[in-house]
Amino acid sequence: MIIMRSKLEIIFISISFIFTAFLFVIIGSIFIIPSPDGFLQSIFSEEMVTALKLTLSTSILAAFFVMIIAIPTAYSFSRYSFPLKNILKSILDLPIAFPEIVLGIALLMIFGNRFLGPFLNNLGIDIIFTTTGIIIAQFFVALPYAVRILYSTFNYVNPRYEFVSRSLGYGEFETFRKITIPLAKGGIFASSVVTLARCIGTFAAVLLVGGGTYLKTETLSIAIYYNLSLGNIDAAITASILLVIISFIAIFLLEKYAHENIEGIG
Amino acid sequence: MFLNIKDLSVDLGQFHLKNVNLSLEKNDYLVLIGPTGSGKSVLLETIAGFFSPYKGKIFLEGKDITNLKPEKRGISIVYQDYVLFPNMNVYENIAYGLKKKLDDKELIESKILNLAKLLKIDHLLDRNPETLSGGEKQRTAIARSLIVEPNILLMDEPFSALDINTQAFLTELIKNVMKEYQTTCIHVSHNFNDVWSLAEQVAVLNDGIILQQGRVTDVFSKPSHNFVADFVGVHNIFEGKVIKESKGISDVQINNDLVLHSSDTYSGKDMPVMVAIRPENIVFSNKPFISSIRNQLKGLITDVMHIGPTVWIEVDIKGNAFKGIITPSSSDLLGIKKGKEIYLSFKSVNVKIIDGNDSFKSLMQ
Ligand SMILES: Nc1ncnc2c1ncn2[C@@H]1O[C@H](COP(=O)(O)OP(=O)(O)OP(=O)(O)O)[C@@H](O)[C@H]1O
Ligand SMILES: [Mg+2]
Repeated sequence: MIIMRSKLEIIFISISFIFTAFLFVIIGSIFIIPSPDGFLQSIFSEEMVTALKLTLSTSILAAFFVMIIAIPTAYSFSRYSFPLKNILKSILDLPIAFPEIVLGIALLMIFGNRFLGPFLNNLGIDIIFTTTGIIIAQFFVALPYAVRILYSTFNYVNPRYEFVSRSLGYGEFETFRKITIPLAKGGIFASSVVTLARCIGTFAAVLLVGGGTYLKTETLSIAIYYNLSLGNIDAAITASILLVIISFIAIFLLEKYAHENIEGIG
Repeated sequence: MFLNIKDLSVDLGQFHLKNVNLSLEKNDYLVLIGPTGSGKSVLLETIAGFFSPYKGKIFLEGKDITNLKPEKRGISIVYQDYVLFPNMNVYENIAYGLKKKLDDKELIESKILNLAKLLKIDHLLDRNPETLSGGEKQRTAIARSLIVEPNILLMDEPFSALDINTQAFLTELIKNVMKEYQTTCIHVSHNFNDVWSLAEQVAVLNDGIILQQGRVTDVFSKPSHNFVADFVGVHNIFEGKVIKESKGISDVQINNDLVLHSSDTYSGKDMPVMVAIRPENIVFSNKPFISSIRNQLKGLITDVMHIGPTVWIEVDIKGNAFKGIITPSSSDLLGIKKGKEIYLSFKSVNVKIIDGNDSFKSLMQ
């Protein structure tokens, strides 16, 4: 059977094909270029192992904090009306729109020796050029994305589920734990994955706040930048490959898990 | 008074509930009617505690519960779209509220089994709610709300999403279950049958205001407000029974042996039915006349009301109050006045026999 396609169909489908294929080639190219020797050497180098460990540990911690803050924030945006709500929502969306590096500068200012820095120093807390700084930078970069996803997730959870639970004798907190969270499970998982991916991929803000010190605060994305500027292509590409693999795992989990669970939201 | 709502006012910005007064005795069954957007759902959810009134009070058994948290009120709610918890099976859904009240697993199980049998869902207990039919879902939702033996059961258009046969089946079922589980009930409905077969009380809500509350027959036979009459759409409603049926005509005997002829056929002989005649289908005359019209009755005018550009006439025939509507010029022509004798004529097609499945809508067609 021959399927007749309209012109619009053909053009649109072609566009989707060409550019997706192009993107695939672009991503794939980093797997082709490195020499196997160079790759093996750099992947087990101290720099790469340290960067990988640092990236994963800071990102997981940051993502965890993001979720802890994003869930109540998104829930209150979705359920309650309160003064300045729309302004708060816009402020939270700002970092999505403006360059990450601006956020980095701002964090550097506030935690540097101008505002909060000296005060925190007195308490024995160092932020600038430390792993704490990295986590803070990742936190602020990823938070808006998590809030956005969770906001629409909670909007999809019919508040009547909560009403029914309350009317059957469960208090607000119990209802949130027993009904709201399980019904939002798919969205919570999806936003965790996106958050984690965003934390892992952060570059400019982490470089400015963390300082990118060799073997100390050098994350994978910073390692790409350093090695590339030193002409160390193999190491740069190795770091890129690690990032791509991590992203693939994240996307795979997202597709698999979110599809299974998002239906329950109804 | 078991439930007493006094001057309840809720402000939702665009929409306001205004000075709602409503009272119910224990085990009353109230059907709340009103057009879409009139605030029926908001009223139920305010009674359940999800909206805070800025004025007025709600008393339950004399106790002020206006500011009590929803979970402390013992008021359960059933929605049109069921809202069964998708992360629990049927049994767990029903058990949800009971587990909060009771620890004894065996007791919980036996209570659930008992109610599930009454609602005929005992074979579905380990099913996932998504796999149920609409009627099964709604029976599960009702079981979940009823199992905790609530002070008040609120039902927001519980049957609206179901087909007519399922509605009729559920209505009967609810009637039986209510006998067993003595419960005070407020039921929002658009369906005439719900009112007729379930309600002891009717309340009418329009634009956030309760227009009328009272016994079903009182509200429908003496609408206190034009709106109620409009909403009900049928002013002449009588209880009766079909005593004879032949050649496509049913003879319905109503109060004091008055017999009306209807072209509706009805198979259940001697079963109680309701008949309805729309006021505008009644023709008034000073003398009987020869025609094909099957119903011609003589009565006495008991009331004449001028409402807008129309004249409403109430006529007593053997203790049955008939209402008709004519123009002022016809009224003048016939010399309509209180205490005058008058003939009423209406075709048998216009005498509607209401049985289980008629809704307001079908009556108004
Ligand atoms: N949470 C809310 N905030 C603001 N307005 C609301 C809210 N809930 C309902 N309303 C408004 O209150 C009015 C009454 O709504 P309600 O749902 O009570 O109507 P209803 O009588 O139940 O209608 P229907 O028969 O269509 O269910 C509507 O205009 C609705 O938009
Ligand atoms: Mg409603």
